[in-house]
Amino acid sequence: MNRTFRSFAVVTVALVVFGPLGLIIYQSFLSEAFFSPTASPSLGAYQYVLADSGFHSAFGTSLLVSFGMTVIAVPLGSLLAFLLVRTDLPWKKFLEPWLLVPIFLSPVVLAFGYVVAVGPVGFFSLWTKSLLGTIPWRLYSLYGLIVIAGLTHVPHSFLYVSSALRSLDPSVEEAARVAGAGPWRIAATVSLPLVLPSILFSSALIFLLGFELFGLPLVLGDPAGLLVLTTYLYKLTNLLGVPSYHLMAVVALSIVALTFPLVYAQRRMLRTAGRFAVIGGKGQAFRPLPLGALRWPAVGIVLLWLFVTVLLPLIGVALRSVVSQWGERINLAEVLTLDHFRELQNHPNLIRGIINTLLLGGIGGALSVGFYAIIGLAAHRWQSRWVSFLDYLVMLPRALPGLIVGLAFLWVFLFFKPIAPLRTTLFSLWIAYTVVWLAYGLRLISASLLQVKPELEEAARVIGAGQGKVYRDVTLPLIRFGLIGSWLLMFMMFVREYSTGVYLLGPGTEVIGSLIVSLWGTGALDLISALSVIEVASVGLILFIALRLGVRLDA
Amino acid sequence: MPDLIAQDIQKQLGTAQVLCGVSFELQAGEVLALLGPSGSGKTTLLRSVAGLERPDKGKIEIRGKVVFDAATGFEVPAEQRGLGLVFQSYAIWPHRSVFENVAYGLRLRHVANAEVHQKVGDVLKRLGLDHLAERYAHQLSGGQQQRVALARARVYNPPVLLLDEPLSNLDAKLREDARAWLRELIKQIGNSALYVTHDQTEALAIADRVLLLDKGQIQQEGPPEQIYGEPTSRFSAEFIGSNNCFEGKIAEVSGRRARLAGDGWTLWGTLKAEKSRDAIGTGVVRVESVRLADGAGDHGLKMRLKSALYLGERWEYVLELGDLRLRTWGETSRPAGEYWVSIPPDALWIF
Repeated sequence: MNRTFRSFAVVTVALVVFGPLGLIIYQSFLSEAFFSPTASPSLGAYQYVLADSGFHSAFGTSLLVSFGMTVIAVPLGSLLAFLLVRTDLPWKKFLEPWLLVPIFLSPVVLAFGYVVAVGPVGFFSLWTKSLLGTIPWRLYSLYGLIVIAGLTHVPHSFLYVSSALRSLDPSVEEAARVAGAGPWRIAATVSLPLVLPSILFSSALIFLLGFELFGLPLVLGDPAGLLVLTTYLYKLTNLLGVPSYHLMAVVALSIVALTFPLVYAQRRMLRTAGRFAVIGGKGQAFRPLPLGALRWPAVGIVLLWLFVTVLLPLIGVALRSVVSQWGERINLAEVLTLDHFRELQNHPNLIRGIINTLLLGGIGGALSVGFYAIIGLAAHRWQSRWVSFLDYLVMLPRALPGLIVGLAFLWVFLFFKPIAPLRTTLFSLWIAYTVVWLAYGLRLISASLLQVKPELEEAARVIGAGQGKVYRDVTLPLIRFGLIGSWLLMFMMFVREYSTGVYLLGPGTEVIGSLIVSLWGTGALDLISALSVIEVASVGLILFIALRLGVRLDA
Repeated sequence: MPDLIAQDIQKQLGTAQVLCGVSFELQAGEVLALLGPSGSGKTTLLRSVAGLERPDKGKIEIRGKVVFDAATGFEVPAEQRGLGLVFQSYAIWPHRSVFENVAYGLRLRHVANAEVHQKVGDVLKRLGLDHLAERYAHQLSGGQQQRVALARARVYNPPVLLLDEPLSNLDAKLREDARAWLRELIKQIGNSALYVTHDQTEALAIADRVLLLDKGQIQQEGPPEQIYGEPTSRFSAEFIGSNNCFEGKIAEVSGRRARLAGDGWTLWGTLKAEKSRDAIGTGVVRVESVRLADGAGDHGLKMRLKSALYLGERWEYVLELGDLRLRTWGETSRPAGEYWVSIPPDALWIF
């Protein structure tokens, strides 16, 4: 039973990962879209794309944005991690969950929020203009994009650095204190250097995420004529009038060619990350480093970041959704309205989108957790070369941005005729989402499985339970809380997801995220703001439940 | 027929040969202790019997039925061997009550519900746990958890009970009580048991027979008195008990006896290894076999008392003579000075 179960897991994962990827590679070597009767093997697509100056500039912009956001996010994230984990920063317990909130917000909603808050005619911009007579920033610019991408990716660096700091033996800091070092000096010379592997790991991660950005550059870069690789790919869709699948495949592969080495570099870094760690192990209570007079400036930094990264765009979205018009010399109190929300009723596709999003998050999320649990259990305590193969396999989708996975699955459904009818059902979205979040979901599951001590399972085996019964009676019941937590996290991720559904969008497969992307092209800001509020409210509700249940957001 | 036969068990983990061909038999009703330092392979041996590790070579039989044979590649999985195992960490399932922990083995064997209640009730009562049936692991003390683990391993009447350092997680005081209680209990139910421990006192106290393991090999095997009183190798002599070990030159050999001599001292002892005159030998003598004597006697040495340490229930004296340094025990404080020390030749083993 175990053998079949495990082979099933390996084969299924290989299929859902290699299938779409193989199709992209195949398509890139054709002269036209694969369904065209005149398609023939050709290197033409490569020649076209690699010679295109638009591609070159998108490539350069992607590189700049990735680099810039890493430079902003990593130092800030590491600093916040040190403040929250190691010092007596005020309001720590309250602030901590908020630091991870941007992870659960859709970038396209955030970007839209920035447009209506600090864009050329944003609420906050107009207010600043009335005070200063001018707006001292330009949102639609390369640096605007870099700063916002950097700020919104601070949690990714915070996540890894804080977990490394948590496992650091406090006595190494106490030794520095006794020797006469103040808190900032301790951070700079002891704590942060000791967690350098995690800092480097998070740098590689953020650099990688830079190439996968889609919502932010679509909304913030487009008006300034800035294209990155993903938005270049998106624009290519309708460039030539006919589906230029072969060109899109080449662009998609060029993104993968950049992200793939980064994913494997990260993997290697993770393996050596344990080298520096000074693990306390004793778990003794320690006194946090006192910041002294610096505690208020420190909390100021955290609050300022929170305001700019979370509150500003969300207030913008919320405000935009309840006013009929805005601009200079308009008193917002006079134009308050709920019409945008009522207007949604006149668009059956938007209503379907809201329902689909919740179905996909709630039921789809649960099914995905089930799927991840099957894979996780198959690899659990399995000593075989296949486990490392499976490990590498699940890493692969991390190199694939949602936009590309969505595109690849669209092709899969077009290519394999027997499953073609599924394309217009939520199943197509569900499987694409499940593949996009494969690495994340499996990490959640294996984090839970790692908590199960082997003796608990061995005890059941010796008593007479076969492998299936051990899973049913011991392993699964022991990780049930972890599974519920994983489900809530997947629920939020699926609700906020936007790029994966872009190419799969059609009647029956509308979701809020991809609807916002497509509405953005038409300029229907009223509807976008209403949809955004609904999305953020849904995520907020689940986040609230998750926090009440004590689910760890930093898994 | 023995309850358990293990033949030539070999196991390699990574590059280390953990077991290098261990064979033993466990008779019905017997308690056999696997004693050895950490890394001696005792736990791997136990886990091999349980079916949780797969040896590279060897054969294991339980009550005449082969459960593992490397030669034919035959292996009965752990869950079909029907054994009972008490883990070092107890491994009480935290999501089940005490009752459900114990009942699990019976439920797997499709025992009728009424019988499950009766059997679990019996075993819990016998172990003094009946009032805790509805509790969960985190509500139990270490001693109680240990008894739940035992009840769980015992309730379906396994042919052999395997115990992996079952007392090592208890604090020292509790451990001494549990030792006597555990031996009594195993004897009462008449189970044969394989008992892994690194604690020599525990092994000697609980077992009918001790298997002394080192570096994956059996060093000595026999009843506790024999293990303690007649060590056959230097390892067994030094591993068990509190010892004085010292080197000297073999000055004289006469049958089983030999005279070991050093700088200013000479002692008669029993040869335990093939040694001839002028070879270097190691003398091992239990601390309690060294005695302070009133006069020279037959085997007396005049030694200088360097220090006397108070250990609570006794004193420990450190004595010196040339390059010979001995520890011994006594009941009173003694001032520094010269004392006669006697070591019976039977108690001094020369390797």
